[in-house]
Amino acid sequence: MGLIEHRFEDNFITTNVDRVLNWARQSSLWPMGFGLACCAIEMIATSTSRYDIARFGAEVFRASPRQSDLMIVAGTVTKKMAPVLRRLYDQMPEPKWVMSMGSCSNAGGPFPTYSVLQGVDKIVPVDVYVSGCPPRPEALLYGLMRLQDKIRKENTILRKERVIMAGQSEPIIVDGRA
Amino acid sequence: MLFLQKFFRTVFLVDLVKGLLVTLKYTPQPAFTFQYPQERRPVAPRFRGVLRLQVEPETGAQTCIVCDQCAKACPDELINLGGHREPGHKIKVLDYFDFNLSRCSFCGLCAEVCPTKPVKALIMSEDYELGTYSRSAQILRVDDMYDGVPIQQYTR
Repeated sequence: MGLIEHRFEDNFITTNVDRVLNWARQSSLWPMGFGLACCAIEMIATSTSRYDIARFGAEVFRASPRQSDLMIVAGTVTKKMAPVLRRLYDQMPEPKWVMSMGSCSNAGGPFPTYSVLQGVDKIVPVDVYVSGCPPRPEALLYGLMRLQDKIRKENTILRKERVIMAGQSEPIIVDGRA
Repeated sequence: MLFLQKFFRTVFLVDLVKGLLVTLKYTPQPAFTFQYPQERRPVAPRFRGVLRLQVEPETGAQTCIVCDQCAKACPDELINLGGHREPGHKIKVLDYFDFNLSRCSFCGLCAEVCPTKPVKALIMSEDYELGTYSRSAQILRVDDMYDGVPIQQYTR
């Protein structure tokens, strides 16, 4: 390694490998469409020619978790569906990301009941939460752009392991300024 | 006769030309796609985006009278607000306005009951760009309610 030693700044090689790998990852995010409710319709609309998610390299909606990088959880996650969702997430190869689309998968939405999971982040680590009920296709594209921003800042070699927050993930509204 | 007709159709590629004519007819049409981050499509007049507080347009004074009606109207109890009386002020001064966006289903009941006139204090704005990295960022405080959620531009 005498050729490249002391010729570049510190960490030159790894940062540039990171940049190239991140560029490849962010511009070919193959989503696994996990359409569970009405948000799925907006997710389908995002992939049509009107909004064209292919401009961001994410047009190949895969039906198999083995071929996908990004899981878009679109819709109400019931407790019956939750183990299936977790199994499909485990079957996805690394690197993988999760987008939570809509109020239902963000926090349970208007269903604080016994049968609905109160936020998909209880079972999978979520990267981007897209609010809306359902979000417009533009809002989903905005969430995808935020995810691309996040991927761009990631370390590829020393990738942090993502964990699910333990305990209560529901933020509690406090009268902080009273 | 029918055989000859079929023969000539095959030789002169009539069906292929017919199909290509359809292709050529649609080729010069302009693109159908909205280039979203560059151009933002105007929303429908009745579109309900994220909740937002308004100020008086001329003076910039507070319009919310802290009547708590929006908090009572919300079916999921996502709004939490409070204020105090101050000498010299006709209306209560708004101290905090916490809005839990994560559960909101954008029904608009809170904006509908808002009684202030002529400027409504609480409106459903036209903003829909809502992507956050954490659940705690989805609780909007009073500053976010006035200025709106900051939108990050697309850079690549």
